[in-house]
Amino acid sequence: MNCEEATKLMDGYLDGELDPITSQTIEQHLRECPKCDRAYKTHGSLIRALGNATPYYKAPAELRERIQSSLRKEIGERPTRNGGQNTRSLFPRKQPEPRTILFGTSWNWLALAAAIVLAAIIGWTLLPRLQRSGADQFLATQLIASHVRSLMANHLSDVASSDQHTVKPWLDAKLDFAPPVVDLSSEGFPLVGGRLDYLDNRPVAALVYQRRKHFINLFVWPGETGSARPTMAMSHQGYQLLHWADPDFNYWAVSDVNANDLQTFKQQFELQTSHH
Amino acid sequence: MALLLKAEHASENQDFESDQRIVKFVVVKKREEDHAQPAALTSFEDAMLPHLDAAHNLARWLLRNEQDAQDVVQEAYLRAFKSFAGFHGSNGRAWLLTIVRNTSYTLLKKNRAVDLTTTFDEEIHAPGYESVSPATILEHSEDAELIREAMDELPAEFREILTLRHQEGLSYKEIADIAQIPPGTVMSRLARARAKLRECLAVRIGKEK
Repeated sequence: MNCEEATKLMDGYLDGELDPITSQTIEQHLRECPKCDRAYKTHGSLIRALGNATPYYKAPAELRERIQSSLRKEIGERPTRNGGQNTRSLFPRKQPEPRTILFGTSWNWLALAAAIVLAAIIGWTLLPRLQRSGADQFLATQLIASHVRSLMANHLSDVASSDQHTVKPWLDAKLDFAPPVVDLSSEGFPLVGGRLDYLDNRPVAALVYQRRKHFINLFVWPGETGSARPTMAMSHQGYQLLHWADPDFNYWAVSDVNANDLQTFKQQFELQTSHH
Repeated sequence: MALLLKAEHASENQDFESDQRIVKFVVVKKREEDHAQPAALTSFEDAMLPHLDAAHNLARWLLRNEQDAQDVVQEAYLRAFKSFAGFHGSNGRAWLLTIVRNTSYTLLKKNRAVDLTTTFDEEIHAPGYESVSPATILEHSEDAELIREAMDELPAEFREILTLRHQEGLSYKEIADIAQIPPGTVMSRLARARAKLRECLAVRIGKEK
């Protein structure tokens, strides 16, 4: 882009009305051309200052009243298409009272109050959910990082065993809670081992399962008692995450297997743990 | 013949006034219609009166005269009310401003057919303005009276586009709809309007010195 083109597009750029690609091209030019950059800054501050200082002619109160009474006259006159002046003189009708400013205002205030109450209600119910979803996003990132690290640093498990009766006591001894551990070999998800991890500001149990060549990290830690949350599936950075909770624990399964496999895993895990 | 017609007309009126059944019918009919219309009026006022300031401001800048502006705005509201049933859009302000703008131009054309489009202005090339730097203009940018005078000097299409953009903060698309120009023209017209405003300001500041 040359200076002439940049000058031509400057107002559109200033107003934020250019498409992203053209905007970027201009930005690029402004970085490279001090002359245009200076012109842009001067023009911008001048336009803003002038815009702010231009007198704004608010409507005088009598104009509003004039309009309101002319509108009322308009609907008063309309049915007299065939009668004209005669009908009007024949039926001197009471003009509806022009809506007074007070009346109008009180409605506006009511509407405003209602809007505030509504907004408060919406905020009250929605905000925790939004916050929670933000927290879930953050947690998801942590979970994936943990999953990736476990595969990367050859630190998949602290206790490598396919025997749930080895893994469980080992975890129980290290943690202040006793996570459910089941082997799911017959269901196609052999238990590989267990590991300690640190998530959501607390130590958690990580159970490692295998699905063909893939690994599934199942993170388990105590949840708020009785707060069963609906199952939630997420896809983040190409990983599948599945979250569920029972009255005792929070579960997060993280893997690069497909979402269906992860669902099956969850069902089998729940089925087996409920038997124990 | 004319006399005969007049007589007939008069007798019709006579009958109409004297016939109580017709009177009763008309009164009932009128009441029915009155009942329906205030609702339409209320929804119109709720939708359009909030934009009264915007309407007045635009008309005032276009007409440069308070009395004309008020007449035009009143007329525009009446026109808007009559075609309100056909308005289904969501942008009530832009819709109303289009009507205000058209009503303003009707009056401008009637009063003085000049001034509607950009004309070559000798004053721009008057000596003095080139020596006034942007920084000097910026120093004067709080002077509302100076800006008003410079704005009033501009052609109507410039006053219009500057008002719509700087004061109403409308998008190029909305401006294109209101000013009835192709969207591609908005940016170049706005640029010319701003350049011209700067020049007019510079000339005034240069003269003051």
